[in-house]
Amino acid sequence: MLFPTATFAIFFLLVLPLSWLTMPWPHRWRPFIVLASYVFYSWWDWRFVFLLAGCTLWNQVLAVRIWRSKVQSQRKALLVLALAGNIGLLGYFKYYDFFVSSSDNMAEIVGLDLPLSLKSIVLPVGVSFFTFMAISYVVDAYRGEFEPTTLEKFAVYLSFFPHLVAGPIVRPSELIPQIETPRDPRRVDTSRAFYLIATGLFKKVVIANYLASSIVDQVFAAPGQHSSLEILIAVYAYAIQIYADFSGYTDIAIGVALLLGFQFPQNFDSPYAAVSVQDFWRRWHMTLSRWLRDYVYIPLGGNRGTSLATYRNLMLTMLIGGLWHGAAWTFVVWGGLHGGALAWERWRRERRSPADATRRTTGRHVWAARIVTFHFVCFAWIFFRSDSFGAAWDMIEGLFTNWGAPSPLVTTGVLLAIAVGIGSQYLPARIPRLLMARFSRLPVLGQATVLALALMVTSVLGPEGVAPFIYFQF
Amino acid sequence: MAERPLPPLPPLPDEETRTLERAATGPPDPPHVPRERPRAPRAEGPQRRQWSAGHALVVSVLALAIGLLLNAPGIHKSAYNKPDGWQRDVALALTGPLAGVSHALLLDRPRKAVQALVGRSGADEIHTDLGLPAPAPAGKPNRPATQAPVSTPSKPKKLAFSPKRKLKIWVAGDSLVITPGYAIVRAAGASPAMEPVGTVDGRVATGLTRPDVFNWFDEIRSSVKELRPRAVVLGFGGNDDKAYMTGLPEGRSIGDFGSWSWRKEYGRRVGGLMDAINRAGAFVVWIGLPQTRSAAQTQRFDVVNAVVEKEARKRDGRATYVDTYTMFAGDDGGYTQYLADGSGQLRKVRADDGVHFEREGGDMIARVVLKALNKEFDLTSWRKQQP
Repeated sequence: MLFPTATFAIFFLLVLPLSWLTMPWPHRWRPFIVLASYVFYSWWDWRFVFLLAGCTLWNQVLAVRIWRSKVQSQRKALLVLALAGNIGLLGYFKYYDFFVSSSDNMAEIVGLDLPLSLKSIVLPVGVSFFTFMAISYVVDAYRGEFEPTTLEKFAVYLSFFPHLVAGPIVRPSELIPQIETPRDPRRVDTSRAFYLIATGLFKKVVIANYLASSIVDQVFAAPGQHSSLEILIAVYAYAIQIYADFSGYTDIAIGVALLLGFQFPQNFDSPYAAVSVQDFWRRWHMTLSRWLRDYVYIPLGGNRGTSLATYRNLMLTMLIGGLWHGAAWTFVVWGGLHGGALAWERWRRERRSPADATRRTTGRHVWAARIVTFHFVCFAWIFFRSDSFGAAWDMIEGLFTNWGAPSPLVTTGVLLAIAVGIGSQYLPARIPRLLMARFSRLPVLGQATVLALALMVTSVLGPEGVAPFIYFQF
Repeated sequence: MAERPLPPLPPLPDEETRTLERAATGPPDPPHVPRERPRAPRAEGPQRRQWSAGHALVVSVLALAIGLLLNAPGIHKSAYNKPDGWQRDVALALTGPLAGVSHALLLDRPRKAVQALVGRSGADEIHTDLGLPAPAPAGKPNRPATQAPVSTPSKPKKLAFSPKRKLKIWVAGDSLVITPGYAIVRAAGASPAMEPVGTVDGRVATGLTRPDVFNWFDEIRSSVKELRPRAVVLGFGGNDDKAYMTGLPEGRSIGDFGSWSWRKEYGRRVGGLMDAINRAGAFVVWIGLPQTRSAAQTQRFDVVNAVVEKEARKRDGRATYVDTYTMFAGDDGGYTQYLADGSGQLRKVRADDGVHFEREGGDMIARVVLKALNKEFDLTSWRKQQP
């Protein structure tokens, strides 16, 4: 079930009142919301509901046993078992064919014939997200940071439909306390919720889909047939498309959760205004960044060892982050580029004098840093978006070799959409706050009319049909 | 004993900023470049008014109700475009009157105004006219087809193309044509004697059975007129494996999918498109449907393929059919997602959905399409004439 569809609108209009009506009775509300979430998930493929339920049971049983066990070696063994289950699940569905085909091709080169067969496995939507949340749960229990809750509450935590298929990746300590306490139906932040839903829809349906169909798909599919200007604009357009697509989805998810009385963490904070790659990762897919920090980077040793070990940890974390996005070497290169940039920035920072660091806070330097960071991120997106290294190389080569050729895909509409996307990164926070405050003071009919008009404009400006969200495949 | 409801607790304080700060703590190292301006503490602007859950529900329902009225023409078109069945019947029964009310109350005007502003006037209109010659009266199943004669010669001379006079190629079709289409564009673009024109016109969830969803007959006629290609590569049928068709001639009905009447009408559409393209002076290469992960779908695709192949055969010299069924068969003759290339390396040729193509699969089709064009046209003799 996709958010911007009539099916979801009907589903949500049924779930919203029933959720609030059952909320005062937690033993009724929790089964209800799990059932609703499973219905939401089964819309893609009902068989994967069993996968989700199995993942819930597996992690609950092991988290409780880890928490109760007093023997460190036993706790560790249980943690390894839990992690093996989660990573095994992810590995089987997401990486099995990638591993087999890569191994087979390597073996072919050295003349070996491996007895491995491909399975053409269908990837369950959202599996990367809910397995990461499950890992958070068991690791937090192992670390003694969060006491496992009941199966019922954990099932709500893992399957809660607003975050189920594409995040945000919510930590147990953020969501489970909210699940344990009935939300107050008298105080709902409706204006923020409606603002996020309306802007999220606009970002996804209008900006992301328009850029994809107007320039990105065509140029990335056949870069050799396009001018250097078209390739350059397509790279910028993809940067905006993926931001609008993914942040649009999470805006809607956060808004939907707010209407149900739940607060999710923010997932994007103007990432293209970042002044360094490190800063970018504090603003882009923030819940994944902190997950990688807490469950990969820090366990690897973080910055507690030598400088060299820190660079290695940064690189490994980003390589894993790259591979998380997809079973392809292009994603690994994308992660490697970011890992390399983070290590390089750290190396530079360690050698910078305090005076130099101060000088870099001036406006000119900050803008230069923003421009350099944005272009580095755009360059890395080429690998992220391309089907293969050959295709990525064609894009990079095309950036330099075909200037002056006609560029019919570079239209006013495309440039305007990119400008809106980049401009939104610099929108002062007071403007949305002011809009939300004004909206919250409108009468009921006024609020409904504003939302209906926003819906109408989005519907007219968006292309026909609804393209799936990019991050669903991850 | 009845369960007592728990008293509601106030929600967490507005955590927007706090959560952001917590999340943005990032890796343990401090940021090396401070931001341009330190972030201002939460502004003292106007505060948001909190409302009740009931208010949220009322606003949501009202917004959707007003939205339905404002968007009624578009919603009615979407209902019309739905696959045949009870859901479509119900949707049409509801959205028809809704569109009437919206029009009577002038509530469809804002939508029309915005459409006019962005150059999309008429986007909500439904065109089902195929613009094809009238079908022959129904006859016996074995009666030979009586297509309207095409004015182009039966078999054109092998036309020669060169870097100075390139063979213009255009690609169009449903979602299955998109990946092979771009592969053809890449391959043709690399050839000195070919030139892809226009963009790959691949439209998801469209076909020849539902001109109400997207009228390919209008689209292709106008595109060949504008782009003037000499070869048109088409790929349709992935969404046509259903009984229901719109745009039928007055008073005509068709039977189940695959029935004689269905094949006849579908053949009329396929043949009509081929003829329209031939009339514009272009050769047609029609990419057939591949086998898919679903055996039932593959069987339905076989029906579509048989109709297309028959129509192409009738137009020998003006159209050709590219069989992808065997091209993508695995070692056991069935569906496979991976195929070995010439050097024995496994390549993923089919997408995870079990239907569409991966880039490598598209390249395989492009090679066969270009071979077909080489057979039909003289694309190499110019090399011999070079000094």
